[in-house]
Amino acid sequence: MQAHAIPEFPLPLSPDQAEAMAQRQIKKHHVAIVLLHWFNAIVWMLELSTGSALIVAPAYRFMPWWYLSMMAGIFGSRANMLRFHIAVGLLWIIVFLVYAIFGFRNYLHQEVLRREIALDHDDFDWLRIRLLRLLGRSQAALPKQGVYNAGQKMFALLVYSAVPFIMITGLIMTFHLGTALVAWSMVLHFLLVGMVVSGLMIHVYMGAVFPEERQAFYSMITGMVNELYAYRHHFKWWREIRINEEAWRQEWMGEYSQDKTLPSHTGDRAPLVPENAEADARNSGEGVPS
Amino acid sequence: MARYAMVIDQERCVGCQSCAVACKSEWDVPNGFARTRVRQAGVTGSFPRLTSAFYVSQCNHCDRPTCVPACPTGATYQDANGIVRVDRELCIGCGSCVAACPYGARYVSPTLGKVDKCDFCASRVEKGLDPACVATCPAHAKIFGNLEDTSSDVFRMVYREGAKRLESSEVAIGPNVYYRGKPEHADMLLASFPLQMPRTIAAGKVWAKVANKLVYFAIGATFLGQAVAFFRQLAAGEKQFED
Amino acid sequence: MSTKISRRGFLKGSTTVAALAGGGTALAEPRVPGWRGETRVEQIATNCEMCFWRCGVMAEVADGKVLKLQGNPHHPLTKGQLCARGNAGTQLLYDPDRLKYPLIRTGKRGEGKFRRASWVEALDLFASRLKDLKDKYGAESVAFFPHGVAAGFFATLMRAYGTPNSAEPAFAQCRGPRDVGYQLTFGRAVNSPEPVDLEEARAIVLIGSHIGENVFTSQVTNFITGLQRGAKLVVVDPRFSTAASKADFWLPIKPGTDIALLLAWMNVLVSEKLYDADYIQRYASGMKELEEHVNQFPPEWAEPITEISAAQIRDTAHLMAEARPAVAIHPGRHTTWYGDDTQRARAMAILTALLGAYGRKGGMFLPSKLRPGRIPLPSFPESQKGRADGGGSQYPLAGEESQGLTQSLVQATMTGHPYPIKGWVVYGQNVLESIPQRQNTLQAIEQLEFMAVVDVLPVEQTRYADLVLPEATYLERYDPPAVVTTAKRPYIAIRQPAIEPLHESKPGWWITKQMAQRLGLENYFPWKDPEEHLARLLQPMNVNLTELKSLGAVSFDGHPYIEDRTDEDGPLFPTQSGQIELVSSVLADLHFDPLPKFTPPDQPPDGYLRLIYGRAPVHSFARTENNSWLNDLMPENQVWIHSQIAAKFGITNGMKVVLENQDGVRSLPIAVRATEGIRSDCAYMVHGFGTLAAGLRNAYKKGASDTQLITRVAIDPIMGGTGMRVNFVRLVRAEAGRS
Repeated sequence: MQAHAIPEFPLPLSPDQAEAMAQRQIKKHHVAIVLLHWFNAIVWMLELSTGSALIVAPAYRFMPWWYLSMMAGIFGSRANMLRFHIAVGLLWIIVFLVYAIFGFRNYLHQEVLRREIALDHDDFDWLRIRLLRLLGRSQAALPKQGVYNAGQKMFALLVYSAVPFIMITGLIMTFHLGTALVAWSMVLHFLLVGMVVSGLMIHVYMGAVFPEERQAFYSMITGMVNELYAYRHHFKWWREIRINEEAWRQEWMGEYSQDKTLPSHTGDRAPLVPENAEADARNSGEGVPS
Repeated sequence: MARYAMVIDQERCVGCQSCAVACKSEWDVPNGFARTRVRQAGVTGSFPRLTSAFYVSQCNHCDRPTCVPACPTGATYQDANGIVRVDRELCIGCGSCVAACPYGARYVSPTLGKVDKCDFCASRVEKGLDPACVATCPAHAKIFGNLEDTSSDVFRMVYREGAKRLESSEVAIGPNVYYRGKPEHADMLLASFPLQMPRTIAAGKVWAKVANKLVYFAIGATFLGQAVAFFRQLAAGEKQFED
Repeated sequence: MSTKISRRGFLKGSTTVAALAGGGTALAEPRVPGWRGETRVEQIATNCEMCFWRCGVMAEVADGKVLKLQGNPHHPLTKGQLCARGNAGTQLLYDPDRLKYPLIRTGKRGEGKFRRASWVEALDLFASRLKDLKDKYGAESVAFFPHGVAAGFFATLMRAYGTPNSAEPAFAQCRGPRDVGYQLTFGRAVNSPEPVDLEEARAIVLIGSHIGENVFTSQVTNFITGLQRGAKLVVVDPRFSTAASKADFWLPIKPGTDIALLLAWMNVLVSEKLYDADYIQRYASGMKELEEHVNQFPPEWAEPITEISAAQIRDTAHLMAEARPAVAIHPGRHTTWYGDDTQRARAMAILTALLGAYGRKGGMFLPSKLRPGRIPLPSFPESQKGRADGGGSQYPLAGEESQGLTQSLVQATMTGHPYPIKGWVVYGQNVLESIPQRQNTLQAIEQLEFMAVVDVLPVEQTRYADLVLPEATYLERYDPPAVVTTAKRPYIAIRQPAIEPLHESKPGWWITKQMAQRLGLENYFPWKDPEEHLARLLQPMNVNLTELKSLGAVSFDGHPYIEDRTDEDGPLFPTQSGQIELVSSVLADLHFDPLPKFTPPDQPPDGYLRLIYGRAPVHSFARTENNSWLNDLMPENQVWIHSQIAAKFGITNGMKVVLENQDGVRSLPIAVRATEGIRSDCAYMVHGFGTLAAGLRNAYKKGASDTQLITRVAIDPIMGGTGMRVNFVRLVRAEAGRS
């Protein structure tokens, strides 16, 4: 009998195996993350719509005149709109401050930073191949990725570096912490928001429009993805989870871990080293060990 | 509807600063700043043939103000009566308008964190009173009124008696504070207190030249990239993941 | 602006109705609605005390705070105008450096160590020390140094107490020479506000006056009105003042030679028969002697003396003659310059008479009587010892009570002659910064057994006092009303509080009544409160207190010109002879020159400049430098010197220098204004800066003090005035050692 080895590369799966994996849900996001994400999304929508309507000077204006009029009309006056923009912004800062104080273990831990932001060798390859594939210049398979792929890590990097400064510049302008500071804050605020918006466009497209990432979208509602999605798109993460599961199973079941007649919490798992690995991999277009 | 304007009679003015203090008192102008100022041009000439004149300056509520388009939030605007005003609720005190004024009429108030300047005492004028500076002047050197009222003193002084605007060949934005008196006295003001070219603050230049372009580019490029991806996705068919 | 209540419309209305009502009765006009932003405010009519013109002020009050001061449009003299200092009155009211509670000295005199005391303790101490001094040395041993109408109540107390020694700088350091000079000529002192008919003049002559930098609101208004109506302007001033910048003729006269110029003008008028012969014939005596006298002084004689060309002297004389009688020769106000000042005032008065301008439209108009009620008081004690300052004896023409000689009181205190002066009561006067020769004042203070200071601000002298009492500011108190006769429409103006006194300050009338009780002198103040006092004053004038309180001032018909005068106004020229005395018999009797003569003043030694001083429109002497707003506009003074002199000494514009006078006394550092606008033999600075009062945090040691440099004076032998433009300074670079 083959041992239940956890593969180091994603291998082609049989339809039954795929079906089984598709049924199983793995937890991807903590509920706090889910709530924060949607809070953030709403805030950004409100702030973008009002913020862009606040820039009036012809040299700096971003939106057309009819948009500015419409927004001013909705709020009654631009002064009201500014007050709203500031109120929402302050609320945003407060919520994130609270999270920062109470949830810092969730993001300041070395492991977490590695997962979410740190780019490794696979990530750079992924970026290169992804770009080439977009331009139609490559059909290569994408390298394996962790819980967040390189594109998501790039976006996280952008947001984590821009958002604190968007907050700070917003505070500088709200409380007028010096005229020159306010003047530079204006530009920086606009520039950083603009950069984040470009990333945001991809983020929203990937999350809401791109069909392959449908699971990702659901994960931002339920917090869960199915195992097949993880296996295909975030293999390194899937592998970590499987290793932990096996380790736990070993520990729990001890000498009985090899006895397949006993039930285990991991359920009946498909054999992990299928036959005809190469042929299947080629057919399904998934990762082939290079 | 009106077009308010002021005429400063330089032959009447004695440079006593009553107007500056009345204004300061009316509008809580902080020390070190002024909505209206009185400065001396001269003494020029050589002893004993000398001249001097007083330059009473404040916001000119220009016909074509350079400060209004400079304001990022649109806090500074010109109302239906020609008065250039600052909406304190929209002003963030970035100072763009201060640099854009050729007459140095504006300042960022440290107490308010916002821009302040002469507004022709709009709230007094609405109640039928003269601006505070006009009311207090012992020499009656400041004359205020509506240029669209043909019977007003300012109309007569501007259109029939040749009261001058302080404009130069580079900066001619139609100020509505006029100066009357000996021609050499008006000339002395421009010579001693030359108009500054309206400036854009450094941050504003970066905004217009760099930030705006960067953001347009980034969003444009992203949008293009998204469009390409979308069409390829459609072309490649519903490559649905087996859910 | 149809809805605006225009000043002109308002004024027309009020004067017409007042005229119809036969003068005196005020109008039941509605108050100008009071507002501030969207808040209704109460408007209290009072008058200003930031200087002594007492312009009408409306104080806007809400919630016990004075929000703003505006001119009072009802005021017959100032009609709603208010100058920079008047507008800044709130900053005196709310000055954090104000005296707040009574202080009693604990350390040595001059150390500045005090403890806070209650009013009861302070007043008890005050009264007991005054009684002690009276017992030990007599009431004459207490000298009173008051200032202004605000000290009026306390002045009565001091008279009742029994001291004849009372002196204000207003006489010997300011207006004295011109008041005596004009009194000798026309029978009347000039008084304040000066009855100069600037608005109707066809020629205005300013000798030393710098109207525009010296700002008295209505005087500026009338001056400008006169100019706008076409009056020609002659300005005689070593410095290119604001007035000079508007002049048809600026005569940059050599300092101290004004009498020569005046004599030369008279010479032209007389020799060319340009004077008003009818007027002189009708009203004046002594023309023949005058003619003989001035014939000696043609313009050619005056030219090298004054450094003004004979042609200009003639031209300006002709200008005056053409404009006569509407020639306003301003008599000046601060006239204590070189020690011959009474004679100079006499010369100006004679010139005025020659032009037929005294009592005529466009010249000087005549005061009209007002008859306020008299409150019967017990008679005041006569002093056996008499005045200690020589007034009436050594200085025969300083005999009136209002003609006290401050510097002589200082001398008497210092020396103990003619008798010891052991106590000083200083009420609103700044003895160390107004009286010249400070070194004497400081020595005198050391001789005192008791010194009490009543003031609003902690000026320098408070450091030397035994007792300091905080008076309320003019916005917090009743004062005796202004009764003004030298206006074309004489008037009464009220000073009433806009708010209750802040901190523990008290109004002067309350301090006076408290002291009166303690000294057993209540009978001299037979009124319950100032409102009763006012009501009794107003009673015979047909004005009721409510009207006065609401409008701030009530005016009456005046008879300003000779042609308007009635018998009730009294004699036209209340001299001994009943005529204008071109030749002064009084002076002759006292063995002074009956006609003015020119004596050349001392010249500055080599390398020195004559120190001259004047006013700035945003400050009043030494009393406003601490005012937050006024200090913001002018935190320090500058010394004006001619650009060539500056270049010669290697000094550039804005550089700081120290002024060292002929006695080696040095000033604080002061910035230089190198300008073409001053003669090269003078250095000019604005008076009132460089205070050594550490309690005035905005003003302390800012700029330089001219008073500290005035260590020499030239005493006017006729009335005892201190000529103060007789000091010479050299410039020392403010870095150590170099000059």
